[in-house]
Amino acid sequence: MIAADRRRPARRPVGANIARVGLVLAIAFGGLAAGAGYWQVARATPLSNAPDNPAVVAAARRAVRGEIVDRDGEWLARSRRDPNGEPYRVYRSPILSPVVGYSSRLFGSAGLERTYDAQLVGLARPDPVSDLLKKFDPDPTDPQRLTLSLSLTLQQAAVRALGKDRGAVVMIQPRTGEVLALASTPIYDASAVANPATSEAAFAEIQADRSQPLLPRATQGRYVPGSVFKIVTAMAALDSGAVTPETTYEQQPAAERDGLLVEGFRIRDGHHLFTGNRALDFVEATEVSCNIWYALAGLDTGPEALARTADRAGFDDTIPFDLPLGPSQVTNGGGDFGAGFKDAVELANAAYGQGETVVTPFQMALVAAAVANDGVIMEPHLVTSMTGERTGTRRIEPQPWRQVVTPQVAREIQAAMQRAVEGELGRQFTPGADVPGVEVAGKSGTAELDGGANPHSWFIGFAPVDNPQVAIAVLVEGGGRGGERAAPLAGAMMKAALDLLGD
Amino acid sequence: MDAFAASLWLLRLLFLVLLYLFLFAVVRVLVRDLRAAAREPGAELGRLRVLESPSGEPASGATFGLDALTTLGRDVNNTIVVDDPFASSEHAVLSYRGRTWYVEDLGSTNGTYVNGGRVDGVSPIGFGDELQVGQVRMRLERIRR
Amino acid sequence: MSGPGSAAPAQPGGPAFELPPILAGIHPRARWRELGLLVLVAVALTVGSISLGATLRARSGEAGQGIPDGAFAPYGASLLAIYLLALLAAHLGQVLAGRRGDQVLLPAVGLLGGISLLLMERLPQTLGGQFGGLAQTQLVWLIIALAIVTAIAIAVRSDSWLRLYKYTWAAAGVGLLLLTFVLGRDVNGARLTLEIGPFSGQPSELLKVILVVFLAGYLSENRALLVEQSTRVGPVALPPFPYLAPMVAMWAIALLIVVVQRDLGAALLFFAVFLLLLYIATARWSFVVLGLVAFLLGGALMYLLFDHVQQRVDIWLDPFADPRGAGYQIVMALYAFGRGGILGTGLGNGLPTVGGGQPGGIPEVHTDFPLAALGEELGLIGVLAILGLYLVVIERGLRIAAAAADEFRALLAAGLSLVVGVQAFIIAAGNLKLIPLTGITLPFISYGGSSLLANSIVVGLLLALSDRGVEPPRPPRSGRRLARLFDRGAP
Repeated sequence: MIAADRRRPARRPVGANIARVGLVLAIAFGGLAAGAGYWQVARATPLSNAPDNPAVVAAARRAVRGEIVDRDGEWLARSRRDPNGEPYRVYRSPILSPVVGYSSRLFGSAGLERTYDAQLVGLARPDPVSDLLKKFDPDPTDPQRLTLSLSLTLQQAAVRALGKDRGAVVMIQPRTGEVLALASTPIYDASAVANPATSEAAFAEIQADRSQPLLPRATQGRYVPGSVFKIVTAMAALDSGAVTPETTYEQQPAAERDGLLVEGFRIRDGHHLFTGNRALDFVEATEVSCNIWYALAGLDTGPEALARTADRAGFDDTIPFDLPLGPSQVTNGGGDFGAGFKDAVELANAAYGQGETVVTPFQMALVAAAVANDGVIMEPHLVTSMTGERTGTRRIEPQPWRQVVTPQVAREIQAAMQRAVEGELGRQFTPGADVPGVEVAGKSGTAELDGGANPHSWFIGFAPVDNPQVAIAVLVEGGGRGGERAAPLAGAMMKAALDLLGD
Repeated sequence: MDAFAASLWLLRLLFLVLLYLFLFAVVRVLVRDLRAAAREPGAELGRLRVLESPSGEPASGATFGLDALTTLGRDVNNTIVVDDPFASSEHAVLSYRGRTWYVEDLGSTNGTYVNGGRVDGVSPIGFGDELQVGQVRMRLERIRR
Repeated sequence: MSGPGSAAPAQPGGPAFELPPILAGIHPRARWRELGLLVLVAVALTVGSISLGATLRARSGEAGQGIPDGAFAPYGASLLAIYLLALLAAHLGQVLAGRRGDQVLLPAVGLLGGISLLLMERLPQTLGGQFGGLAQTQLVWLIIALAIVTAIAIAVRSDSWLRLYKYTWAAAGVGLLLLTFVLGRDVNGARLTLEIGPFSGQPSELLKVILVVFLAGYLSENRALLVEQSTRVGPVALPPFPYLAPMVAMWAIALLIVVVQRDLGAALLFFAVFLLLLYIATARWSFVVLGLVAFLLGGALMYLLFDHVQQRVDIWLDPFADPRGAGYQIVMALYAFGRGGILGTGLGNGLPTVGGGQPGGIPEVHTDFPLAALGEELGLIGVLAILGLYLVVIERGLRIAAAAADEFRALLAAGLSLVVGVQAFIIAAGNLKLIPLTGITLPFISYGGSSLLANSIVVGLLLALSDRGVEPPRPPRSGRRLARLFDRGAP
């Protein structure tokens, strides 16, 4: 009958399939449990201390925030109470505003006040155990006092040196990663923003200011680096083995007069008055900031190696720091020449700091610190310790972040940078960068801008060469050639820092 | 920490503990069910031997191991397909509950018979009894262990 | 007649009561396990509401001012009492009906509903409510849901009305869907809500039940054919083409829901349940893989073509990219989870603005993010317990399926429990940023009538299905017959 063709093999019951589906669901719910564990245990502390977290915001409104002091114990920010008994913040000086930021009832917070909101309010405990136990505490807040590595004296000197110009000075101790000065101009009056009586008017005025004082140049300003980027190129070129300190390019002397042609694009130089028709090696090329040598070295190094070294130094990457940092880039990306470069022209231009390369002054200070510290970047930090009345003090110890190049390569670059400051020819490019009685290394930069605007003046460097105490990056917007504005400023600042630190 | 805060915390923890107590109690029930299911193994509780089958489906002399529930009928989705002109598509159900076998007629046209007597609704059936669905006669047998 | 005779009455589940003659038609059957578990539920919920009350009172009366008067009275005691009475009534209803359905489902679902009630009492009451505040409204829905559970559990004794009219059901489902497409009202950019006169609801909740009924019917009927005959396409064996059609239709419907209704959650839910049921019916992973590939391809296409899909996925990948804008909801939820930590802040002690439109609260916490609110107040421990409760519901449902008399019932029970389980998974995973966030509800906990009613139908059907199969005989009419039975049955 009909069943003959419908006869099936032994009918398999669905029970086993149901059990398997049950197992799949159980595993899926296991995944949910793992997810909950991730957010509620592994990520609980950073999440509950995030400045955006409404719990932190609410506590910040009520709580008397902890003090912020500099490396010598000078107060930088403290709390007062208004006539209603509600606390508000006052700041030592407007020069601190790009670093310390503000904390306002109306306008939220910025800078360190924002990053360390939870700690200043006392919501977050310095270690995970007491953080877990705080729920059992009737009064869960214990405001922390932040001690910074910043020096008020150096910060003042830096802002004064920048004067009316817009720009930035970043000073870092290469051996520890401690930030000594982080000056950005223009500045604004954070106290006026924090004071409830003047808050609204002050904030409106700052926002209307076309010089954008709310943009901290040092950490978030993004600039064409010009020749200071050659140090990054040197790192990549030497570390990848594409060049040695002895490498010379025979086409270089001839190109000095008419420019070097890269795929029809002409790269020019301005130093043949001093060097004549000599083929320069690495040290000489650095001393006189030879664009053509660096363009050739960059082409030899190749896009991948250049981008790789730059990324190791923090480009296109998240650098661990107490303040948000603007991204630095070697190229805009998107090109198919390699590592996102468009073509050989862009690579050659990038090698001497033009092209699509954009950096923050902070990033360039890290580059100088890497060279100074034999290739190792220490984790940069501003806060060196947190102290709570009940929870005691926790120190933030220096720790290495990355090895960018080998110590050997770092020393080769140190020697070249020293020649750039102290050499016969180098001195003419970096007047005033030297510090009497101290061996100083550095590199100036002149960032040419589209449209013929006055170039940005750059300098990065460190001192003393054999025992580096301070690394520096200076940028002055529209400051002209590197030697005009940035180099002397850096020299004065390094001297001040060494006077302050060295006993 | 004052007494109020302490008792508050105790209450909060107690609530969480009670949630788990409930889960624990439920899991105990589940485990007991599973054990009970294991004791009455899904493996065969009895056997149905075909004594006579004019149509050959099922074949005469064939035996079927029985689960707790066995459906008989002409439809292909029955546990035992009885391809007999006198069987309905969903003819009867054999089930094992509380150590007893029952047969239920599912409203078949020609009825289900136990030892020659027509089953009205549900009826117990013992080992050795003869079950007739359509023209197919079968005997319920005990499995010797 | 000694020994084996003692097991004779054969009524697992408890002894029968004697009733006064006037109620002779009723054959009650005790459900001690259910009662025991319900007592535990009542104790837990009472402790929860006491803890909630003490916390809220201490907060309002400035912490540290000593013990406020009546601090340890349960919070919202009357609401809780009404809810517990409703649970008891549901229990008694089943006892009186004498059915032998599952005894774990009602307490497990009851506890979830109770936690929902506590949560709704604790959230700002202005968030919603047709019947008074948020909590009162939720209570009304919970009671209606319990009534539906009980009514279905008691009344449904035959499944033929589901089995026979599966295409009618399918047509009704498609009709409902089309109605929503055409008449639906856009809420938050998604067309989920259907309004007819004074009634409004989310048809996709009801649709999921209809879908399972249809699939169970279709798959149980064609199961053998789906497995046996196949069209080979390369390495994969496909079912014959005519039988492939409903699957293609399912796929199309899922994508259509995404496009027209902008309801990613429902689409995901329907399709996942469909694939899992397909596997149960055919035991072919290849079908599932094929379905997944098709779904992923469709999803990728959607991502490229439609902004709202793209936006959802981008928010999911990095909500912190725009924490104050698009990513706000999920970021706030993650903060809530983080604040909760392992032990939680305690019921009522989460951020006062945990819900509602206040700054800092999670928008739509009562419908979309109840798990985040509970994660904050009950901690990881509480979240795990809640996940455990859902697993219990799923496990019971699947056991009912495995023990079902035939394939239709097995597939129906499995599908119903999968609907609950998968839905809980999708929204919980969305809350925890494991998958893109979707707008479906957390079964039994989220605020809202549609969800509670649809899920109550699911639970009711599961209870009814757990009592399917052969009714044991009425006590035998003659002693002779009984004797014969056990004489033969004895070894």
